[in-house]
Amino acid sequence: MVWRNFGKRFRRAWQSIGLPPIAILIALLLGAVVLWLAGYDPLIAYRAMWQGAFKDLTAVTEVLIKATPLIFIGAGLAIAFRCSIWNIGAEGQFYLGAIAATAAGIYLGSLPRAILMPLVLLLGIAGGAMWGMLAGFLKNRFGANEVVTTIMLNYIAIFITGFLVTGPMIETKGLFPQTPRISENAWLPRFLPPTRLHLGFIIALLLAIILYILLFKTSIGYTIRAVGTNAEAARYAGINVQNNILLAMGISGGAAGLAGAVEVAAISYRLYQLISPGYGFDGIAVSLLVGNNPLGVIFSGILFGALRSGSEVMQMNARVPSVLVLMIQGMVVLSVVAFGVYRAVTMEKEE
Amino acid sequence: MKARIYLLIVLSIVLALLVACAPAATPAPEQPAEPTKPPEQPAKFKAGLLAPGPVNDGGWNQTAYEAFKRMEAELGAEISYVEVEMAPAAFEKAFRDFADQGYNFILGHGNEFTDAAIAVAPQYPNTFFFLSSSRFYDPNIPNLIGLNTDSSQPCYLFGYIAAKMGKGAGLIGGMEIPPIAEAFEGFTLGAHSVDPNFPVKITYIGNWTDTAAAKEAAISYVDGGADFLVGNADFANNGVYQAMVEKNVWGFSLFGDNTSKAPKNILANYILNYGEGLVEIAAEVQAGTFKPTSNIEFGLKHDKVMWITYNDGAANPVPEELRKEVEAIAEKIKAGEIKTLSSQK
Amino acid sequence: MELLPALLFLQSTLAATWRMATPILYAAIGEVFSERAGVLNIGLEGIMLIGAFAAYSTAFETGNLVLGLIAAVLSGLVCGLVFALFTVTIKANQIVVGAAFNMIGMGITGFLYRAFYAESGKVLSLKTFLPLDLPFLSSIPFLGEVLFRHNIMVYATLLLVPAASFVLYKTAFGLSIRAVGEHPKAADTAGINVHRTRYISVLIGTSLAAIGGAFLVLAYADQFVEGIVTGRGFIALAVVVFGGWSPWGAMGTSLLFGVFYALQLRIQAMPNVLIPYQFLQALPYLATLLVLVGLTKRRVRAPKALGIPY
Repeated sequence: MVWRNFGKRFRRAWQSIGLPPIAILIALLLGAVVLWLAGYDPLIAYRAMWQGAFKDLTAVTEVLIKATPLIFIGAGLAIAFRCSIWNIGAEGQFYLGAIAATAAGIYLGSLPRAILMPLVLLLGIAGGAMWGMLAGFLKNRFGANEVVTTIMLNYIAIFITGFLVTGPMIETKGLFPQTPRISENAWLPRFLPPTRLHLGFIIALLLAIILYILLFKTSIGYTIRAVGTNAEAARYAGINVQNNILLAMGISGGAAGLAGAVEVAAISYRLYQLISPGYGFDGIAVSLLVGNNPLGVIFSGILFGALRSGSEVMQMNARVPSVLVLMIQGMVVLSVVAFGVYRAVTMEKEE
Repeated sequence: MKARIYLLIVLSIVLALLVACAPAATPAPEQPAEPTKPPEQPAKFKAGLLAPGPVNDGGWNQTAYEAFKRMEAELGAEISYVEVEMAPAAFEKAFRDFADQGYNFILGHGNEFTDAAIAVAPQYPNTFFFLSSSRFYDPNIPNLIGLNTDSSQPCYLFGYIAAKMGKGAGLIGGMEIPPIAEAFEGFTLGAHSVDPNFPVKITYIGNWTDTAAAKEAAISYVDGGADFLVGNADFANNGVYQAMVEKNVWGFSLFGDNTSKAPKNILANYILNYGEGLVEIAAEVQAGTFKPTSNIEFGLKHDKVMWITYNDGAANPVPEELRKEVEAIAEKIKAGEIKTLSSQK
Repeated sequence: MELLPALLFLQSTLAATWRMATPILYAAIGEVFSERAGVLNIGLEGIMLIGAFAAYSTAFETGNLVLGLIAAVLSGLVCGLVFALFTVTIKANQIVVGAAFNMIGMGITGFLYRAFYAESGKVLSLKTFLPLDLPFLSSIPFLGEVLFRHNIMVYATLLLVPAASFVLYKTAFGLSIRAVGEHPKAADTAGINVHRTRYISVLIGTSLAAIGGAFLVLAYADQFVEGIVTGRGFIALAVVVFGGWSPWGAMGTSLLFGVFYALQLRIQAMPNVLIPYQFLQALPYLATLLVLVGLTKRRVRAPKALGIPY
């Protein structure tokens, strides 16, 4: 009996830990086929990619730096997706967070470090949460589908940013459109010099853990999931569905906003037009890849960070266009999905 | 029993992974992990490019890539490029990746790389860092130099031609960044030097890829009475060329010869041979004689870097007398007698 | 504004509207089928890119635009098969698969374009579908320019929308699509093959999305560039929802989006406009959002089984 149980648990553990690497291998193999068909040597390409991501401590920390916004966004989206709210708007929420954080870092720059640093992050959260909750409000009040509203709000956020950095917040008129640097009091500390690993990464890990606990160990998380599983049933059970929608949008928006704030406060120290290369969209995949589990997002975020980081060195040293990595990311998602279904099926048989 | 089989599978997978990764983990023979300080006489001159977009965009990024190919051909340089993810986090890493591998000449192709270059350059004093579209110079960071190509000068000439020959001009830009805005300002000043009321209008489409939007913007100008079009939106310029052909109006192409896109309609090309300038600098860097005391500014007076060509096959070629006038104006620009930007003093 | 310039302005804006709406409309009509059958495909952007690349490379190699169009449809069908395999047969989450398609589409088209075209040194332009001025009609003042001087792929939308509407509402097949999207279980009991119906609907959706992408290279610009779709796949998703999941609604909404896009380009170009151009760029999206909010008191709702595998 004990043995049986052990076997089952072991199998479950293996299925959640062992399968993703296989899925990644399959995706890389498919990528290799494409590389080979296009006349590249996949081995050379992948070797360069591997070196780019893991060659030494600096490279590894760079992977973690790239993973940081993805972990923030992915962990937040996990909450929204568990509530069956399809927030496609993390990109816009990231921008709003970055705007709010930059504004605080510039205009309140004289505040002492102990106040300004947390304030910048909090305002980032507020900016993102506001943008997210706007979509939630439109859904509750007008029944406007959040997939549509968040897509539109993405564009609007990007244009607002463009307006601010070419107009009111520009550093020097006529020069490159960017805001001035934020006050040094707002900079997130870097530990582990000479690498650039910064406090934001630790905050991202904490956030993932907190959101995990919130989602699975508290009654708030339980209600969110209940709404996500069956909104009708939840309503009959006396749950205020609208409030939960607003909450889920607020949390996911706030997390994306925090990602934007951290990007400004730890890396760029200023805002410009295209501050996100599509983190909000990658974040969707990062969350879905691990079945919307905020803890799992740490791994999928790092995986995507490594692929991105490695792909640049792949282009540098093996002359393979780095866009290929997008395809590999997509393939990873598809094969993880396929394995996930396989897992569900085998478990069903077991029960 | 089953559990053991699974254990076996897990072990074999782990093993397979290790085997798969093992060759990757050891440094590749052709990429020796060079120390950060390259030797006095580097075995091979290495040049690296950070491009802010695809190097095949037919515009800004391609200009730099072509330049690097010339460095490869003429200096025997080993060249490489990376299309940096447009995230600030990526910039510093890309500079470092090149510098760590012993690259001697690293170009960040755009002003947006300035912060990252300032952060990295002081740590690699034996490597020269360059920034395109930048007027950066700081004696404290002597190995970081801004290279500016003043596109407002040739565009001033185009504006002059348009105002002499046409009724109105429409300029379509990707995003409002200095190289674009300055080119458009030069065009406007040139046109207004002929006729202060000559209509010159500017639209930004907000990206570099939406050919359809660029085409519609161009068509809207033509419908509004313009008969000269200029696209400055990289990939999306294709849409502008198409609008010229379909609406049968005139235009210019920037940064390269794009006559083939609209053989009857493009009257002149502004050729930016960034390579000529870069090869010159790189040769000095290679010889160890590069000791800049200011930023580097390329304009029409560097007539191997920047010039304009006419399309004699156009349906309405620029007349000979006008070309002579343009030539005279170009001389004045070279001599500094005509300012092509209002900020120039 | 005086009357004649105002008319000319209107004429130019409206003519542009239909052209701008066309690629979005193709993708949106397809998505209407897919969503009506209960399958939400957020991967339109990626599939449009794949369609655009397939059309471009085929038309470029063969010099034949029709072959290019056929290639786009084929690529759309392949995407659709994979998409349906994942979302219908193995019942994976539709949003996940759609997100994956967006990445794959961007990655593979960008990569292949680089590998085979970008540095080949060839002249990469196509001879596109040219505007087809309809005899007599095109010379009607005003209307001629607005309605009768477009290329064949624009005109085709005039057939596509009624045809789609007919299939969806007047045929037994359309009835099964809608039944499968509302109550798959009931449909199953009534003898409708749910999986087959969903497969077909997804295939219609992806092949039309691919045509929408192909339109951009075959009939708008003359060349593929990376990311040429520039968000139109996402706009199409929005268009479906607030066209109320009906083909005519999708057409109306696409045109609405098109008119605002055409307007913003023209307002930017007007002299003495003091509005920052970024606000004008945001106009189509903002207007779409506001109209959506204003209109949602209607009794239109999403297909009940949308997003739920069966």
